[in-house]
Amino acid sequence: MNRYQLAIQVDDKQVVLERILQVTRYRGFLIDGINAKVNTGTHIGYIELFVRSDRPIELLVDQINKLIDIKDVKVTHNTA
Amino acid sequence: MASEKQHTGSSLLFDILQQHGVQHVFGYPGGAIMPIYDALYDSDVEHFLCRHEQGAAFAAVGYARASGKIGVCFATSGPGATNLITGLADALADSIPIVAITGQVPTSAMGSDAFQEIDIFGLSLACTKHSFQVTDINDLPKVLHKAFAIALEGRQGPVLVDIPKDIQLAAVENSLEDFSQLKNKVKLPPANVGSALALLNQAKQPVLYVGGGVGMANAVDELRAFAKLAGMPSVSTLKGLGAINPEDENYLGMLGMHGTKAANLAVQQSDLLVVVGARFDDRVTGKLDEFAPHAKIIHFDIDTAEINKRRKADAAILGDLKVNLPALAIPLSINDWQLHCQQMKADFAWDYDHPGDTIFAPAVLKEVSDKMPENTCITTDVGQHQMWAAQHMSFNDPSNFLTSGGMGTMGFGLPAAIGAQISRPNDCVITVTGDGSFMMNVQELSTIKRFQIPVKIVLIDNGKLGMVRQWQDLFFEGRLSETDLSDNPDFVMLAGAFNIKAKEITTKDQVSAAIEEMIDHDGPYLLQVKIDAQDNVWPLVPPNTANDQMMEKT
Repeated sequence: MNRYQLAIQVDDKQVVLERILQVTRYRGFLIDGINAKVNTGTHIGYIELFVRSDRPIELLVDQINKLIDIKDVKVTHNTA
Repeated sequence: MASEKQHTGSSLLFDILQQHGVQHVFGYPGGAIMPIYDALYDSDVEHFLCRHEQGAAFAAVGYARASGKIGVCFATSGPGATNLITGLADALADSIPIVAITGQVPTSAMGSDAFQEIDIFGLSLACTKHSFQVTDINDLPKVLHKAFAIALEGRQGPVLVDIPKDIQLAAVENSLEDFSQLKNKVKLPPANVGSALALLNQAKQPVLYVGGGVGMANAVDELRAFAKLAGMPSVSTLKGLGAINPEDENYLGMLGMHGTKAANLAVQQSDLLVVVGARFDDRVTGKLDEFAPHAKIIHFDIDTAEINKRRKADAAILGDLKVNLPALAIPLSINDWQLHCQQMKADFAWDYDHPGDTIFAPAVLKEVSDKMPENTCITTDVGQHQMWAAQHMSFNDPSNFLTSGGMGTMGFGLPAAIGAQISRPNDCVITVTGDGSFMMNVQELSTIKRFQIPVKIVLIDNGKLGMVRQWQDLFFEGRLSETDLSDNPDFVMLAGAFNIKAKEITTKDQVSAAIEEMIDHDGPYLLQVKIDAQDNVWPLVPPNTANDQMMEKT
């Protein structure tokens, strides 16, 4: 399986973390780790997500990007 | 002087619904949504009481699909909310804009396992486009405006708003704010027009593969202009039916598992597929690795995530079809290919011969299609009757064929027809159903009775779960496990219990008169059509098989 690291910027809204975790699992990616913090001044959340899968990472990036409260998704590390 | 009633979250909800042009809602009351139903009492919004929350959700879906307007449904907390879920999932799979409002226990009781409390907000994550839970009355207007905007923007879909009872009761100022449309959040990459034009010009055997996105984008005219100028042979998905003019000589019908032989062979032989608002669903592609093996792909869509999801696009044209289709409409020199496809269409035309006196469902549905008034809206349930309707009926617009495509939800047809009829009171609405599906939301006959909704019901009755029975015979050695429904109720008597006129027919010679009687009847009508339990849907591409390896009637 390939390992990937994603950097995700979000609007700090209810359940945004749950939404990302649900989409990640449903689209066939296993979660190795997660770091999350919110800048309370800007209400912007920053999430680092470590995942692995046999599937291309673009499939997950596109699906996370579709979530309403997501501002940006970048793949910061890719072993594929 | 009588004092003005205090404005609350509930009355504000109706004011905002009316701001968005909502005239009709479907729902079912209960404890945690009582303040909203109390405000409904004073509202001009018309409410249709369905007899199960799933029925209310499907009525909202049918309303939206038939009219192009947003559908709205209400349910209470707990079981009311969970009963909506199948309807939300159906709307998500078919990209239908609905807004579902659920009552929730008061915020002080949330998280305490209160009576009729369920975390519908959590449950909604996998079956909505987006969802909200309002925990501050000041957020309510903004959330409701956003819910409408999100349901309609880009690829449409269902949005749920969960409103705790204390928020429904909270006092608010009576001041409606203007709302502005959301900006499309996702910046789409530029359309790859140059590559697409080159692919079109090189193509010798192109096929236009049309999906439900065309109707959703309101781009039927642009699609037909594109197809006419290019002269390209075309095929349709289940949800795309009606987008291409069914009289178009280059139109080959539906593709996929129960598609026409001409459509599937043309796609398999093509060197270019122009995919418009479609997503390479597994029921369309059959064995994905062998689908259209020689074809390059031009993929038009509004959803970035559909590009390269199941098939790599050689040119992606993201954005509004109304803009992008005209930009690529060019004449092509493909006479030989056109003639070849037209010849296949003629060679593999439907055969309506069916020996004996028993009724042949495809012939019945073709006759209904030929005799129904112009602009009739057909809804279906799911199973054999659905595929026969898709194969043998003709639609002049996608909003005239409402069927549960992505989710394949039995029980869709009757409540969707109710919603369709309410949105289009002057058009004929007919639901084509089966004896299995019909029983899944049969309680909605009561909604038809209450509001005297003149929906016509064509019940194709083989006393079986026919499609599962067909698969058991073909792929499970004829082991007919739990597919016998021969102890169905007396459907004519059942309809009578709801004051719905009904007739049962069993032989071919009864068909024509019965169809005419049904269509001419001024009110709801159930026509029960008994057919041979052994009749199968043909052709059939077996699972995990290439689309040119279809099984046919022997």
